[in-house]
Amino acid sequence: MPYYTKSEDWLQQSALLLQAFPATTIVTTKYHIKPARRIPKSEKKSTSAPTDTDTSTTTSPAKPAAMATAPTAAVKPPRGRLVLKTYCPQSGSTLKYKTSKAAEVTRLVQMLGTLGRRMAALPPAISSAGAAGEEDTAMADASGGGGGETSGVQTPATGAPGPGPAQQQQGQSQPGGGKGKKKKGKR
Amino acid sequence: MAGSHLSHDEFFIKLAALFMTRKDKDHGKVYLSQKRLSYGQDIPQPTEENPFPDLHIDSTLPVLIRAHNGKSKPKRGEKTKLSTVVNTDDLEAFYGKYAEVCKAGMLALKPRDRTKRKAKSKNKKKGAPAS
Repeated sequence: MPYYTKSEDWLQQSALLLQAFPATTIVTTKYHIKPARRIPKSEKKSTSAPTDTDTSTTTSPAKPAAMATAPTAAVKPPRGRLVLKTYCPQSGSTLKYKTSKAAEVTRLVQMLGTLGRRMAALPPAISSAGAAGEEDTAMADASGGGGGETSGVQTPATGAPGPGPAQQQQGQSQPGGGKGKKKKGKR
Repeated sequence: MAGSHLSHDEFFIKLAALFMTRKDKDHGKVYLSQKRLSYGQDIPQPTEENPFPDLHIDSTLPVLIRAHNGKSKPKRGEKTKLSTVVNTDDLEAFYGKYAEVCKAGMLALKPRDRTKRKAKSKNKKKGAPAS
């Protein structure tokens, strides 16, 4: 039950699974909201460490400090997650991809659309979106760049042709940065 | 069963409503699923000569889209189930609308972080007149 780090990989593997078992493969999208963690671990450690060292003298001032962190954590909005899952009961294989970025939703639904075409037994070659997606993955793999890059290039090009180059550069740098963070943050 | 499928417009309205029930809440789930509609489509049973009749279909098949809120037995009364059938001709139009509804509904996801970009552009603006 692998989680793919790139949505393109998920799409490619799901398409292959769908090709093998077109009738039984089901694609499920789960959107779930969970309350934000009350106190992030890093904060907890930082607040608890000083209290441990000088417990005898500053037990009472430490408490207000802990109280102060609580409201800031409570202000945090609940976090949403999106998990895409391709499951085939016939072969028992499951492919997953998860994200929490709102910017990816449109692209992911497009991917669902390309998979939908395969489900409908339409040739994937006709689908422009699907073909573009596959080309993008190939290019991304070849260049060794992150999967997020493709979206960054695509969206400004289609969305706002007016103020061109500056936006494109920003668009490119932004997902790249996100990618790096994601890798660091991973278990 | 087939009679209970909604039309596309109705499906989208109810799906938007389903997402809205989770708006400003700190918990909850929305499940969306899609699969080939093979029920009642005259696909032949597998035989020894043709063990995978699914793989060699001449005609196209509709896609079944479902949505529900994940409530099961103890909360059966709160369960919402939606389903619609998309024919091959409508696929692109459907998914276009589907993306819109999903994007509008999934509000708890992280918005694109623009703080860094803003900081950068501010620095550039500050730096430009000085140099």
